[in-house]
Amino acid sequence: MLIQFVRTGGFAGLRTAVTLDTDTLPPEEARKLLEMVDASGFFNLPEKFPVPTRGADYFVYRLTVEKEGRKHTVEVSDPVAPAALRPLLQSLVAYARK
Amino acid sequence: MCRNILRNVRSSKEERAAGRKQEQMTDRIPIQCIIPPHMLKELAQKGSPKQRDLALKTLMVSERIRGRREAFAEVYVAPAVGVKCIKVYDAKHGQGLPGDEVQEPGNSNDQAVKEAYDGANATYDMYLDVFERNSIDDRGMCILSSVHFGENYDNAFWDGRQMVYGDGDGELFNRFTISMDIIGHELTHGVTEYEAGLVYYNQPGALNEHMSDVFGSLVKQRILNQTADEADWLIGEGIFTSKVNGKALRSMKEPGTAYNDPVLGKDPQPGHMKDYVRLSPWEDNGGVHINSGIPNRAFCITAMEIGGYAWEKAGRIWYIALRDRLRYNSSFQDAANKTYQIAGAMFGEGSKEHEAVKKGWADVGITIKKK
Repeated sequence: MLIQFVRTGGFAGLRTAVTLDTDTLPPEEARKLLEMVDASGFFNLPEKFPVPTRGADYFVYRLTVEKEGRKHTVEVSDPVAPAALRPLLQSLVAYARK
Repeated sequence: MCRNILRNVRSSKEERAAGRKQEQMTDRIPIQCIIPPHMLKELAQKGSPKQRDLALKTLMVSERIRGRREAFAEVYVAPAVGVKCIKVYDAKHGQGLPGDEVQEPGNSNDQAVKEAYDGANATYDMYLDVFERNSIDDRGMCILSSVHFGENYDNAFWDGRQMVYGDGDGELFNRFTISMDIIGHELTHGVTEYEAGLVYYNQPGALNEHMSDVFGSLVKQRILNQTADEADWLIGEGIFTSKVNGKALRSMKEPGTAYNDPVLGKDPQPGHMKDYVRLSPWEDNGGVHINSGIPNRAFCITAMEIGGYAWEKAGRIWYIALRDRLRYNSSFQDAANKTYQIAGAMFGEGSKEHEAVKKGWADVGITIKKK
């Protein structure tokens, strides 16, 4: 499984990005990532979520996952990011900071 | 008509924002004009320059109406100016808003609570004392802040109703209430939403960010009693832990120099149109936190050229632009033209202030276009 992750925006306006290949990760880490992708129902999420009409300084995420011949990209900003996706987003921020 | 004494005349703007108008109507009481002429005369003699002007206009209109003996159907009074309402909530590391209200936040031992409270107060005071604005909506709206939002949350934001602050991860980021300009920045997003309504995308979005940085920085400068020359013009000073090589998140004076760190990268802000960063819509909404460096530097140069306290003249010019002249789709060029026009009207054509605005924009590569 390939994951490309970019988080932008937020008050700081920092770009936080990482690309991961589960084949090159320790098996336990790879398993956790696969679980989180499955738990979020990633391949059934819409490509674009509605952009918030009010508010400012939210984080904006762009996430692409390639798995078993399927490829899907999701663009979503913080208040509308589904709860099931949040653990994966949080974990990817931690990878980007490693 | 009565409300003109305390409010500014903004009928065109109110008519544009039909939805908002509905909201505003609810806090006015439809009654006949009840402010007696002797009070208006008092205001006309002893009020602030704006109050004097508005009281005089109201008196003139009242005289005319009295002569005609016409009846009014709908005249509204505004809530009293200066009623301050500031509340702080504790989200207790959850993401539910607003969380639990903190009693007496001004006396709290919780640093984040106290900072959120003090920062909201300082911002409210600046808007009222300097710009004669009564809170975020200019109608005394209660200012709400939630602290301790989420786990290790590296952000602060405005959600359309309130301000929200994370504690930071402790590794790279400290708590987001640490710098008063961040609080002024977030509150100003609310002001912008009620006024120019700058859409959060590309140049209008970068102007939205710029306005938040300008008034955020002015709140800090005013609390520290600093002139434009003395101010550091940094946004988010103290937000980074000692592990990060950086002094702040942004520099209005020298965009692109605030940080340069192996983990976080380098401050990407340009300070000139020739370095304008074009990004996809999904990336930081087209670079709203990046290209804001250009108008930020224009404001800083303007304020330094004028000299003295930045909020007194440059701040007033920018505030009038935000309140009355900018629109949801305004560009950097529009902001340059409008601030220049306003400076000419306020301080005179060719005045030092007028020329300072021209220089501020010229130094970032924007030439004023006169109609």
